[in-house]
Formats: sequence, C-alpha cells, structure tokens
Amino acid sequence: MVLGVLILSLLATLMGRLWYLQVKVAPHYRVAAFQNQVRDVVTQAPRGQIVDDKGRPWVTNKTAVVITVDRSELNQRADKGVPMLHRLAHLLNTPYHKLHQQTKICRYPKRHVRIHTKSGPKTVVRRVALPANCYVGDPTQPIPVSQAKPTIAATRRAIHIQEMPDQFPGVDAQTTAVRHYPRPQGAMASTILGYTAPIDQSTLNGMSPLRQDVYRNSKVGVSGLEESYNKQLRGKPGIRQITVDHLGNPTGVVKNTAPRQGNDLVTHLDAKAQAALEQEVQAAIDNAHSSGLTADYAAGVVLNARNGGIVAMASLPTYNPNRPPPTLTKPQYTHLQNQPGHPFLDKAYGSSNPPGSTFKPISASGLIHDGTMSVNGAYDCPTTFGTRTNFEGESGKGFISLHEALVISCDTFFFALGAHDWSRDAQLIKDGHQPREGVQNIARAYGYGEDPGVDLPGASYGHIADRRNTKLFWQQNAHRGLNYCKGARTRARGTMLQRLDAEFCRTGYIFLPGDQENEDVGQGTVLASPLQVATAYAAIANGGTVFEPRVVKAIVSPTGKLIKRIKAPVRGHIPLSKYDLTYLRNALYGVVNEPSGTGHGVFAPFPTGQYPIGGKTGTAELTGTNENGCWFASFGGPAGQKPQYVTVIEVDKADQGAVSSAPYVEHMWEHLYGVNGRSAIFNNGVPPTTLPKVGAAAIKARVARKQARRAHRQAQRSQSTATGSTPTSPTSTSGTSPP
Amino acid sequence: MSEWSETARSSPIPRRRPESLASRALDREGFLRQLDWVLLGAVAVLCVMGLALVWAATKPQGLGPSYLKKDALNVIIGVMLAVLAASVDYRTLRAYTPVLYGASVLGLITVLSPLGQTVNGAHSWIGLGGGFEIQPAEFAKVAVVLGLAMLLSEKREGTSEPTRQDILLCFAFSAIPIILILLQPDVGSIMVFGIVVFGMLALSGIEGRWIVGMLLVALLAFFLIAHLHLLHQYQIDRFTAFTHPNATDKTAQTINYNPQQAQIAIGHGGLFGQGLGNGTQTNGQFVPEQQTDFVFSVAGEELGMVGAGLLVLLSGLVLYRALRIARLAEDRFGMLVAVGIACWFAFQVFENIGMNLGVMPITGLPLPFVSYGGTSMFASMIAIGLLQNVYIRTQR
Repeated sequence: MVLGVLILSLLATLMGRLWYLQVKVAPHYRVAAFQNQVRDVVTQAPRGQIVDDKGRPWVTNKTAVVITVDRSELNQRADKGVPMLHRLAHLLNTPYHKLHQQTKICRYPKRHVRIHTKSGPKTVVRRVALPANCYVGDPTQPIPVSQAKPTIAATRRAIHIQEMPDQFPGVDAQTTAVRHYPRPQGAMASTILGYTAPIDQSTLNGMSPLRQDVYRNSKVGVSGLEESYNKQLRGKPGIRQITVDHLGNPTGVVKNTAPRQGNDLVTHLDAKAQAALEQEVQAAIDNAHSSGLTADYAAGVVLNARNGGIVAMASLPTYNPNRPPPTLTKPQYTHLQNQPGHPFLDKAYGSSNPPGSTFKPISASGLIHDGTMSVNGAYDCPTTFGTRTNFEGESGKGFISLHEALVISCDTFFFALGAHDWSRDAQLIKDGHQPREGVQNIARAYGYGEDPGVDLPGASYGHIADRRNTKLFWQQNAHRGLNYCKGARTRARGTMLQRLDAEFCRTGYIFLPGDQENEDVGQGTVLASPLQVATAYAAIANGGTVFEPRVVKAIVSPTGKLIKRIKAPVRGHIPLSKYDLTYLRNALYGVVNEPSGTGHGVFAPFPTGQYPIGGKTGTAELTGTNENGCWFASFGGPAGQKPQYVTVIEVDKADQGAVSSAPYVEHMWEHLYGVNGRSAIFNNGVPPTTLPKVGAAAIKARVARKQARRAHRQAQRSQSTATGSTPTSPTSTSGTSPP
Repeated sequence: MSEWSETARSSPIPRRRPESLASRALDREGFLRQLDWVLLGAVAVLCVMGLALVWAATKPQGLGPSYLKKDALNVIIGVMLAVLAASVDYRTLRAYTPVLYGASVLGLITVLSPLGQTVNGAHSWIGLGGGFEIQPAEFAKVAVVLGLAMLLSEKREGTSEPTRQDILLCFAFSAIPIILILLQPDVGSIMVFGIVVFGMLALSGIEGRWIVGMLLVALLAFFLIAHLHLLHQYQIDRFTAFTHPNATDKTAQTINYNPQQAQIAIGHGGLFGQGLGNGTQTNGQFVPEQQTDFVFSVAGEELGMVGAGLLVLLSGLVLYRALRIARLAEDRFGMLVAVGIACWFAFQVFENIGMNLGVMPITGLPLPFVSYGGTSMFASMIAIGLLQNVYIRTQR
C-alpha cells in the first residue's frame, strides 16, 4: 500500500515534469531545437551607390578578389596554421609578420573604470581600447587578409588557393564587392562621403541577437554619408538557413533569401561644383602659403539658398577617399593625423571658428529686432571706442547708417551698440528681469550655437556666448575641466597663456561688456562652421527661411524607383520684417558694389550687373598670432531673381577676409555662372531639379544611348557609303557597291 | 506396452484424458488462462514502442536496421527466458536460487577480470564476441531478488518476523554483489540494489527500528562517500552538474549537454510530437546515447506528450500489476519476489525517465523493455516471467 502510493507519486512527478516541458514551456524548447539544428549562412548585400545631382558616381562598388583566412580552423590544427601562413605570405608577396597580425584576433581586455554619475562615483567594467594591428571583427567568421583588383595575376592566385585546399587549409579566395570612390571630375569630397569599416562590438550590442548574427560580418558606414545613411545604403543581407546535424554537417536548406542591394543616394553635391570648390580652396591655401602665412587649412561651402541643398562643400587638406583610416597602416595613419589641418576632420561642417565680421549682419538683425537700432537711424562710428580701435586702426566716420557700417565694416559702430545692449541687460537684471540678449537670440534663430541639422554626422554646433553659458563654462572649467586657475598658478608667470588663465580664473564667470561688444563683431566667443555661416546667409538671401541643409536629395531603389525625395527641413524664420531683410541684403550688395565696400575690389572683374553678388568679409583676430581667420560669405544669382546660391570660404591663419578668401569666392561665382572664360557648372546656372537615372535605370539608359549611337553611326556609315562609293546611284542604300 | 502398464492406466483413481499441449494450455485451469494478461499486454506494448523508438533513434546514424534487428532478437530471447522463468514452479525455483546467485557473483567477478569490457566509463560488460556482450549486474538483480525472498521467507513459516540473524544475513548476501559492482563502478545498479534490499526488508515485516536504522545508515553512507572522496571525479562532476544546470565551466557543460539536449528534444515534441522519424533533435543526433539510456527523449520528441505519457503510464501499469501480484501471492516468497521486482522496476523507471526530464542526475540505467540493450531486456523479461510464475500459482 505504502509502496503503491510512493510509486504513484513518483509517476505523478514524471507526468508533471513531462507536462511542464512539453506544454508549459514548450515554445522555449521549440526555439532551442530550431537554433540547434539551423545555421544561418549570411551573404552580405552590396551597399547602395552615392551619385551626384547628374548621376555621376561618388561611391560605387567594384569587384575585388578577397582572400580570407578562417582563424577557428587554423586554431584547431596542431601547427596553428603557421606553415600555411608562411606559404600564403609567400604567395601574396607580403611579409609573414604582417599576415600574422592581420589574422590575430583582438582580445578585449576588461578593466575596472571609475566613472562619475549623478548619484556619485561608480566603478564599472569597461572593455578597454583595442590593441593595434589585430582583427577586430567576429573571430568565428573568415578574416579578409588581401583585397586585390581582379587582374589575371590575382585571379590566378585565387584559383591556386582554391585548387590546393590541403596546402591552404582554412583559406578562401572569392570575388566580392568592395567600396570604391571614383572621384568624378577629380573631386574628392572624402569627409562628406565618409567610409565604411567592419562593424564594431558596441554597435552590435545595440542590436537584437538575431540581427547581431546577420550583421556580424558586415561593414557599416562610420563617417560621412556612409554613416548617416547607413541604414539606407546597407541593404539586406541574404540568409540561407541550412539544417545541420550534431557535428554541424549540413543536411538540408530551410530558407533561402537572396541579398538585397542597398538603396542609392542622389546628392545635391555636384561633382563639377565640388571639383571647382576644392580647386579654389586649395588655391586659397597655396596663395596664403606663398605669402608666408601658416594657412593650416581652408574650407568652403556652396549652398543652394532656395532649398538648402549643399551643392559643394570642400575641406582641405583631406585624405584620399579610397584610402580611409581603416585601410591605413598605423604609421600612415599617425602621419596624417599629426599633419597640421587635421585631414580626417571636415573643417566645413565639423569644426568652428570665430566668423569675424561675417557675423555683423546677424548682430545687426538682433539689434534691429530688439529695437536697439533702426535701419533709418544713424549711429556713431568713432575711431576708438574705449580702449578698442577699429580694425587695422581705420579712422572713424562719424554718424553713419547701418548700411554704411556694413559696407565699410565699422567695428566701433557695433562696439557702441553692443555696450548699450549690455548696459540695458545689466539694468534689467538689477530690476529682477531676464536679460534680453537680443543678438544671442537672433544668432540662434540663424542657427549659430545650435545643431545645424545637416544630414552628416559630427556637425559642429559652434558657440554663442551669453550670461548663462558663460557662468556654466566657468563653473566647469575654473577649478576642474580645463582648470584655468591651475594654469594661472603653474604656467610660466607673465606669458600670455598664464595671463589669460589668470584672468579667466578671476572673472571668467562674468559676461563682461567687452564680451558683448566682441560678440557683435563675430570675435571672441562666437564660433561657427562655414556651413552655419552659409545657412545664415541663405536665410538673409531667401527672405528669412533658415534651412537644415541637406547633402542628399533623394533615395532611389536599386531598380531605379524613387523611394524618397528629401527636402531640407525648415528650421525656422528670421523674425525680421521683409523691409529690414531687404535693407540688410542691399547693404551686403553694397559691400561688393559700392567703391567703399570691403569686397568691391575683388569683384571688379565680375559682371555684377548680370549676376548681382552680396557678401561680407570677415577677419577674425586669432589670439597669440598676427594671422587671422579669413572669411568671405556671399550670396548671388541672376539679376531680377532671388539669390540662387550662397558661397562661403574660410581660410585659417591667413591675411584678411578680403585678401585671402574673397578672391576665391569670386572665382567660385565665375565657375557657377560660367563667366570670365570659365565653363559653367550648370546649364543656365541652375542645379538640375529632375533626378538622374541611377542603378538599373542608369544602365538601361546607357545601353539605350549606346544602341542609339550605334544605330546613328550605322545610318551615317550607310549614308556615306551610299554617297561615297556609289555616286552614280544615289538612291542605293546598300553598302555593297556594284561591280 | 506391458500388461502392467495397461493396468496402471486403468487405475480406479480418476484421471484426466490425455490432451494436446495446446488444449491443455487453453483449459479453464490451463496456465494460459491463468496468466496476467494485463501485465503481459503492457509489456508487449512497451516492447513494440521500444522497437519503434530504437529504430527512430538509430536510423539517422546510417547503420540501417541492424539495431532494430538486434533489439528484436533481444526481445525474442527475452520472451523465451520469461517463458522459462514462468514455467518452473517458483517454489522449485527457490531451491535453485543459490546456484543462480553463485553464477551472478561469478559473472561479476569475471567482469573485473581481463574478460571485462568498459563502456562509457563503467567496466560492466563481458564480451561474448560477434558484437554481443552481457552485463552480469542485470542478472545479479534477479538473483538478489530471489535470494532475499528466499532468506526472508525460508525460516519464517511459523514465526511472525525475520530474526536479527535473517536480516544480517540479508545484508551480507546482498553486500557481495554490491561490492563487486562498486568496483566496476556502476552507481545506477548499486542504487537499484539498495532500493530493492530496502523495499523487500521493509515489506517483510521487520520492526520499525530496522527501517529507521537502514535510513540512517544510508544517510551516513551518503555523507561518508561525499566527504571521504570515495567517488570518482566524474561521479562528483555528474552530481554537481545536475545541481547546477546552468553552470558555465567546461566539465559541467559537457555533462549537462546530454540532459539539456534530451530536454530540448522532449520540449520540442510538444503535445503530439513531431511524428515518428521526424524529430530534428533525434535525426540530427543531438542527444548522445539516444537508443539506450536516452530513448525516452525520442518518444518525447517524436510522439509528444501523448506517446511519452503512454510510456510512463504503461510502466506504471507494469508496476501496479507487480504490486497486485505481490498482494495476491499465497506465500511470502512469492510476495517478496514481486515486491523486489516492483522496487527494481520502479526505481529504474523513475531514474531513467527522470534523468531524461532533468529531475534526476545521470546514471547509466536503461528504461525496462524500451531501451536498447540485451542483458537489461533479458533480466527484465525474466522478472516478468517470475511475476507471471507467482501469479499463475496463486489460487484464486
């Protein structure tokens, strides 16, 4: 009896457990059984192309013979694949140690790191930076060790490897698609296009486990358009699900989806315009160098003022787009990295400097907006204001209009108004009100000190100083961060840096009247990228619309179908009346057209009657050097129309805006409109509005064109034979002449 | 024929007419009518299911029907042994128990000699050549059941309970095969012996203090074994792996691989299974030892809860019939034999299915009638023969 009950309870236990496994948690085991027996073989999809506004390819794929080494297979061998790697090194004509490093799997050492959080310091485990010269990808996937053009020699090598699996165990040679940057018209646009690199662990960690498996071996865009449009470009990897037995031998195919090529991007970026801008920016650097100036770098932007499309954007020095950092050896990379002018950084959108007097139209907008100044009034332009003098010590002009002040670029005019603004705000604070800070507010409306919203990663925000962020910066950097107070103590006494540190340490939290005055002329704490300046000038030119500029115009499927047309979003509108904006525009036209204008001389050869150009010089004084940041910002278009483009060039550490930058801006306008003997970039000066044919559609169109040409040639030939060889029978269309 | 014999035939004592064997067997009091057909039916279904599952488990190995054929042969030999075990009156069999016991002990000693073979870490087999081998421990189970039944019933007629001497003799009697098996070692079989000895003693009517004492000794032994490093490392590893199913060290993962894969197979089966021969776990050979100790996982995956549950229920039916036979048995010997067999099967069924389901640690015990394996099949069949033997000779 007792035994019976005991046995019954044991059987009940078994039944209960059986029910639990087969009914209660069965879904879990279904998945486990599936994962057990199914393996995904992932075929990476070719990335989409990037083309310019006329369909010229910026980025394409080319086939290459890629040789891979399977580390896991080598590790299983007693000799760890050392003799094989020696053979392979010999075959590929590379040193063994290099090949060995390429196939060495990176280890991710963990380290305890103390970090500061809101709730106090905390110790976390972080994976530390990778050691150089090892493979960072998935160790279970084959490691690419060589990539070569599909020449006869390379193909022969590949066949040699494939035919001798016993000589080269774990080595595979295949023809695959790799990224190629064809440099249309000789333009580079390296930092805009960006580059791809093998996916890194942190990106993978952000994905769901299923997607991690799929994308583990793929390349991702890590800079430029390749990064910001990675999702569109990458396509969808093909997955072949095969069933395997317990030893991993394939037993069947469950599912087979073909890889889907990524979508293509059509950019506003025009290869001809880009090439011309890069040429002019380089010329600006060369010219400054020839005058003995440092000119570490220069950058320029051509922006479509009507729709916010970036027609060209140059930043020099740069790197060869086909030799991005992941393809460089460590010494090559360090060499470029340490060059003055930061070749890997885009200076047109990725870094910012004081914009100098190009900022004056913006501060004027602020002064008008909060009523400090009226466009109908006249204000003093003295020789000196307090201890400050006009730029280059120019003499005062007495009471002048804003128009005049912008044309001749009078600093003291703005100093005085800035001082007035500061006093008013100080009084407001004293009375318990918020300061008005009109210039700062309108500068932000123009996009200064804010995210420019461009479709490129790592765009610089620039900086607009006000009372709040000045105090914040001091709090963060007086005794910690940059620790100016320590600098004041430890730096050599009396040096300029020591004096600056000491001053900041003492009074850095106060937004001084001088700060406001400096800000109104674009010096000191105002920082902006050429792209931000171009966006602001586009707003002045187009009647107040501030765009978030866009490089990409449209996304097109590989079959040529339009997926999405991208319009530059409107960030906002400048809160000025049409009258005031027209006034500002006219003042800027005056800079170029009026004899006293700072840009008049440079634009003398330009047909400004046909294509009116407005602009502003900017010369930002750099601390500790007599070289300046040189700017020229301009807008223009055919007469009788709203301005079409904005062109900005900044040259770092050169002479003056009017000398170092303006001439190259003028050249750029000549390129844009095909004047003074230059060939026009666009027919009738307007960027194309229709999309070019891309991908399959482009190939179809090319074939059609070829056929049409051939038909045309044949028609011509038959005509010429008809007329040439058989003059007696002009009606004959046959190519064979009668005997 | 002589005159005398004629006379003898026509003796006045009423005698049956000579009949054919078949008609005799089918007679109202013939042994076929007296068999426990429910028990027989349950065993038959288990054997058929076993054949199907062994086929399903070995088919993906690409060896053709060789396992199936050998398993069928095992069943046939087993049935013959069972008939043999059932036909001789168990009371007569009792007299031969010492011989059987002696033969088993001899077999166990032979295993330890150079004739023995090692399979999966246990040195438990004697090779017979031609790919056949026997596992004497299985036969020893039969011998111990019979032996204990004999010792506990022999002197008992008239007295009410086994004397202390009887009990100590029982311990000594079972200690010899246990020690010999401990040397192999085959922990699963030793546990079967322990359960059988405990169950038979407990139901033989001994005093309660003996039962408590045995439990205490078992506990003590458990601790001694655990703390005096009497176990092999692999045995300790198996146990720790069982108590830590999610352990990440390599040993535990290697050991847990087998039950984990078995559980995946069983869970994959769901309510109605993937269909015989369609289990991906089984066909991919993810579960090692699937035709022997892990045959239950084939049932779980391919026949689902319906089929696997049927295995549990049929095993339960066998146990129920064994207990019923014990209850109905006329004498103590018959009762104790049935109890011993019930304990043996009960533990083996629970341990085997339990380790498939992940509720018991792994030991090399087969599922009676279902797992592939000759000796186990023979011993189990002999046990069924003995149960029938007791049942036939029980007056109802």
